[in-house]
Amino acid sequence: MAEAARKEEKKIIDEGLDVGVQNLTEERIEKVITRVLKGESGARLKAYIETCVHCGLCSEACHYYLSHDKDPQYSPVGKVKQTLWKMLKAKGKVSAEFIKDASEIASTQCNVCKRCAMYCPFGIDIAYMMLTVRRICHLLGVTPLYIQDTAHSHAVTMNQMWVKDDEWIDTLQWQEEEAQAEIPTLRIPLEKEGADIMYSVIGPEPKFQAQLLYQAAVIMDVAGVDWTMPATPGWDNSDMAMYTGDNEIMGRVKRAHFETAARLRVNRIVMGECGHAFRSVYDMGNRWLGWRMPPIPIVHAIDFYYELIKNKKITITEKFKEPVTLHDPCNVIRGGGLAEKARFVINAICEQLIEMHPNREHNYCCCAGGGVINCGPPYKMTRMDGNRIKAEQLFAAKSRGAKILIAPCHNCHSGLEDINHHYGLGYEVKFISDILYDVIEKPS
Amino acid sequence: MMKKRIFLLMALLLVGAFLIPAYSQEDMEVVDDAGFSKKQRPSAVFRHDEHNEKAALEDCAECHHVYEDGNKLEDESSEDQSCSECHDEEGSGDMPGLRKAFHTNCKGCHLAQEKGPVMCGSCHVR
Amino acid sequence: MHSIYAFVSGPLAWLAFIIFIGGCLYRLISLMVLVHRKEKFIYSYMSLKYSLRSIFRWSMPFATENMRRHPALTIVAFAFHICLILTPLFLLAHVTLVEESWNISWWTLPEGWAEMMSLIVILACGFFLMRRLVNPEVKYVTSASDYILLAIVAAPFITGILVYYQWFGYEILLILHILSGEIMLVAIPFTRLSHMLFAPLTRAYMGSEFGGVRHAKDW
Repeated sequence: MAEAARKEEKKIIDEGLDVGVQNLTEERIEKVITRVLKGESGARLKAYIETCVHCGLCSEACHYYLSHDKDPQYSPVGKVKQTLWKMLKAKGKVSAEFIKDASEIASTQCNVCKRCAMYCPFGIDIAYMMLTVRRICHLLGVTPLYIQDTAHSHAVTMNQMWVKDDEWIDTLQWQEEEAQAEIPTLRIPLEKEGADIMYSVIGPEPKFQAQLLYQAAVIMDVAGVDWTMPATPGWDNSDMAMYTGDNEIMGRVKRAHFETAARLRVNRIVMGECGHAFRSVYDMGNRWLGWRMPPIPIVHAIDFYYELIKNKKITITEKFKEPVTLHDPCNVIRGGGLAEKARFVINAICEQLIEMHPNREHNYCCCAGGGVINCGPPYKMTRMDGNRIKAEQLFAAKSRGAKILIAPCHNCHSGLEDINHHYGLGYEVKFISDILYDVIEKPS
Repeated sequence: MMKKRIFLLMALLLVGAFLIPAYSQEDMEVVDDAGFSKKQRPSAVFRHDEHNEKAALEDCAECHHVYEDGNKLEDESSEDQSCSECHDEEGSGDMPGLRKAFHTNCKGCHLAQEKGPVMCGSCHVR
Repeated sequence: MHSIYAFVSGPLAWLAFIIFIGGCLYRLISLMVLVHRKEKFIYSYMSLKYSLRSIFRWSMPFATENMRRHPALTIVAFAFHICLILTPLFLLAHVTLVEESWNISWWTLPEGWAEMMSLIVILACGFFLMRRLVNPEVKYVTSASDYILLAIVAAPFITGILVYYQWFGYEILLILHILSGEIMLVAIPFTRLSHMLFAPLTRAYMGSEFGGVRHAKDW
């Protein structure tokens, strides 16, 4: 019954999947599944599969499940059942159509946010299993088109948005000039070897959010930070290959990033307000390259702002007036423990923080991260229908007075903009830096 | 197939249910368990004369033994004593505690002879 | 009956315990070998402090968000696991048998307690069965094997309590009781009952990742 209902609402056309499956043969599918499940995977997958007692307790962790009126097909374990369990049971002998469905489930119906890992009594990492499914689909060439294009961009340009080498430098110089209208002495120091900090951003910033580079430059300048940005590929800290299961490209991209920082002999890499990029440099990419922790310390923007405010490197002239609420991004809060620092920063720059509930580690996902928003327009409604619970959570915070929604993560930011519009919530969505830039004391 | 099995099992259980009361009627005599400070199971059913007749037991010392320095004395028996006069509840050294003494004496022999009850509830009948 | 009893309580019991212990060791060691061969990095993330923090937290009733969300299940699950493990270990009849064979014994549960605890296990199994049949999110991921596992766990306790009351055919039920216990022992290492072995490990790993790397709570 439920199966039929689901089939009907499924009208997504995605060439990445539709064309991808045409190239599959049963032998190839079996070979790849065996390669990943038997060859690449190890004790973790085995223990997770064999320890799970099918209790369903992970269900309520998942925003898709909650948003679809508790449809069990959207529960974390339900998604494992539809993908990995069947592959394991059939020993890899599954159809091309099955792979297509599996790819859609793993790539667009799970944000690998790991909220469910906190709900499983055994601490089973279902996000890891979904990434394993994505890995299989990647090796079979059945990945949603848009995110695959992004992964191609990483492979070719070492950045996410096909930004050409000269465009990157151009954009920085453009923003430097813009900012010099405000602070004439301001520089965006390129290729400054031996600087304290290398500032890194994600591809979309130079591509269409250049004001963020401007704001960062102003904050750096005002705080008197010894910083630099690279003029070569390696400046981009983002990584969609990580989310398609293309680990090899993920490794190349991260290597380029770390090597650039090493070439510039910086002490630390400070990164903009991005969650998935933090995951890729702090958790996944470094591990793929064999680094237990990042070879060069990574400081997320939240942590960096905390440091600047705490050490009085910047002064707040007047706090932001309108009541704000904070969305805790999975990758830096559940993945980086920055919950309290984020609150410290926001309380330092805003008059009033109205918490949404649940919050901190338990916050509901934005439904955009984990590469889902990068799967593009075909899946916009997947994200909207899949996160009604977020709209409800945001609406509750709004009813208690919140007007501004702070989302210190690019994916969350874009995803919440969509939720905001789709459900007519009437928030203004901001980065921390949007507010920080406004409220800090600047030389007049 | 499944139904047939369930039916069979039920039938078996029913037969069992009628057999037990038939077995546990008559005058009951039980092992003297006054030596236990706390009784945890029903007293063990034991009809002395009937048992010895059936088991063809002539020698009292077969059960009512006397031990000295870990050796059983051939010519002595202890039917004038309670088991608990020697076997206290704890037991000490080679001397088994009362519970173990009873079990070894009865069940041990039953196992060796492959006759007589050996399962808990066969003696400790409710 | 004599020979059947002697067989199931003798050689078969030995076999069951050997397979149980050997099987557990095999599963644990082979998992460790797999970690060593393919995911050595896991060692470098394991932290005793955070492993214990996580295990301790998840061993306390109502100490985690999800436990508070499902109060009935939390109570039942804790009662179930405690009774499931303690009852057979400290049952008078079991200890008595051990004492007869090996002359070692330990504290035993008062019979009334053991009776209650066995009933708790049986009722809890009923609760789990209902969850599987009624709750959509559980039903969806339930297959025949889940019912079989539940039956394997419930059987020693159902037969055990019947044997204790001496209802129905005592002797045949006692044989079935011993057999079902042996089946459960053998099943532990080779079915998902192996969560008895692996859950502390997965918990410890996730605890270490959350504590040591993610600096976040995993509850």
